[in-house]
Amino acid sequence: MSHPPELPLDALVQEHRVHRSLYTDEAIFADEMNRVFGGTWTFLAHESELPAPHSFVRRKLGLRPVIVSRDRDGALHVLLNRCTHRGATVCRQDEGTARRFTCPYHNWSFDSAGALVGVPIEEGYGPGFDKAALGLGKARVASYRGFIFATLNAEMPDLVTHLGPAAQLIDEWLDRWPGATLKLQRGTHRMICLGNWKLVYDNSADGYHPGFSHMSLLRMRKDRYGAGVDMQWTIGNVDHGLQTVADVGNGHTFIDQRAEIKRYWEQAAPMPGETRYEQAIRAKLGAKADTALDVVMGSGMNLNIFPNLLIIGNQIQVIEPQRVDLTHLTWYATALEAPDLPDEVNALRMRLQEDFPSFGEPDDLANFEECQAGLSIPEMEWVLTNRHLGTGKEYIGPKGMLTGPVTDDLPLRAFWREWKRLMTSTTRLAAA
Amino acid sequence: MTPLDPGMNIALDDGFTLKDILRDSLESTYVDDAYYARLRGDLDEWQAIGTPLTEAERQRYEALILHEHWLLDRRAFERWYQLYTRQCLYWVPAAGDMPDAVRGDPQRQVTIAFDDRRRMGDRIVWLRTGVASSQLPPSYTSHLSAGFVRIATAADGEVKIRSQFIVHEMRAGHVVQTLTGWMGHVLREEDGRLKIDRKLVALLDAARSQHNMTFLL
Repeated sequence: MSHPPELPLDALVQEHRVHRSLYTDEAIFADEMNRVFGGTWTFLAHESELPAPHSFVRRKLGLRPVIVSRDRDGALHVLLNRCTHRGATVCRQDEGTARRFTCPYHNWSFDSAGALVGVPIEEGYGPGFDKAALGLGKARVASYRGFIFATLNAEMPDLVTHLGPAAQLIDEWLDRWPGATLKLQRGTHRMICLGNWKLVYDNSADGYHPGFSHMSLLRMRKDRYGAGVDMQWTIGNVDHGLQTVADVGNGHTFIDQRAEIKRYWEQAAPMPGETRYEQAIRAKLGAKADTALDVVMGSGMNLNIFPNLLIIGNQIQVIEPQRVDLTHLTWYATALEAPDLPDEVNALRMRLQEDFPSFGEPDDLANFEECQAGLSIPEMEWVLTNRHLGTGKEYIGPKGMLTGPVTDDLPLRAFWREWKRLMTSTTRLAAA
Repeated sequence: MTPLDPGMNIALDDGFTLKDILRDSLESTYVDDAYYARLRGDLDEWQAIGTPLTEAERQRYEALILHEHWLLDRRAFERWYQLYTRQCLYWVPAAGDMPDAVRGDPQRQVTIAFDDRRRMGDRIVWLRTGVASSQLPPSYTSHLSAGFVRIATAADGEVKIRSQFIVHEMRAGHVVQTLTGWMGHVLREEDGRLKIDRKLVALLDAARSQHNMTFLL
């Protein structure tokens, strides 16, 4: 199936609506895995997952198998997981420590920086054989405060420039306890959605849906605990509330809920262990306890870094497209580590980070799957992206970002602008 | 509450209803360092060689576990809840099928489910709201358990039973999911009745991606 030739990309992506084939067409999916995921700075891993020299994790850049590694000096590399000999993958484990990646097929081996360092019976290639030219393919790699990104686009500006205001928002997300370091390797929630990956990104800055799609969570909380608990600010006409959405540039988008959260700890979702650990934290920290308890709770930010990284609450979500109608969504749990932050804070963070994957996200994923089912109807062609387009409610807000009421579709419009730019770019992507 | 849910029509033991659960255990008071230490100890103990149950043990312990599964398969969540002690745990680790005390340590790792009595109540109330898109239509399960063995434990008054399971889960309009692995039930007496104090569900593919895990195992 390919998209209708009478509709070029400009016709499929309009400001007020987009065509259903963008979610269902296999040819478009193949193209975006190459051009979108390969052509921008795409998130791959967090530095805390690579704690030592020669650490590695196996990931995908679009659909390309890649290895994110540290070499013996600790420098980061993104290696294309493909033997330069016959094409087999050289790394077949999800994570670990390896000085060398040895292809099991003919035992060509590569060091943790990708250089070819061993070829059995090498003399069979004759005297002109140049091992230095046969290292693993590489992507450009850069990291910002631990977040590791890669691209196959030599023309991309440096990562900080590309992140723009998102870099400052990452700072705000990270710096809620001064001096603390963010640590992954605290377990994951790995979810399967029978829907297109963009349904997940669309939702991550959708401030319109929570009062409806999360009715089960909101009703359970209210029936059991009364008003005032977690997320009750998503009920009613939220455009009259204090939340906003913003276009962060380059496809990055943002929901800011922070103005709705008066007391983080008191508005947190219930979590196992909270009575004893609150007592312990108060006993240890005294006046600083309130701040420590506040960092148990999510940040009140949905910061979405195009095209696949969603920094939401205290979790890092990564969108991993598999097929046009199949997406894996991995939620990495995070801990905050600092000498003056008690362990009880992280034990509570673990419990709180189980809450939304249990009572919130499954309902969204079910709705994305039903979107995919509905979008299969050829005669119903369009998906609307026009909320608050023309209501005059948008303004230039903090950090110079175009900002709107929380149900504004401006994040969708920002996403599609960047998506179309990358899909129509003539830049040739290449391995370094 | 949804009228679609036949579980609501099943008569409940002791008059315990969803309304009782709404008011039960609104605080989480017993999960602390000592509790987590006990769970790490459990992980070590579960790895031991088990002893096949005697006929008397089957009548007492295996029968309780089979009844627990039967109630889940009938969606009789309120009665299921009553099989548990006041300081109970329903725990599904996200680490591999034999989580060790490091990778499986719930004090330091997130899990697929870590429900103390309060969160178990939350989950039942949530399932009964009738408005969870992930449970419309609702899941129906069929538990099949075998290989019941008793595991030695250092804890006084506790009985540890390990078993292998296959659960089929069916939601109308969706493919049937098959989940398998082993379970560990820690049983003890409370108020003169044998109850489940802790239940560990170790999925074979816990570390892999899962599709809609909003039902109880």
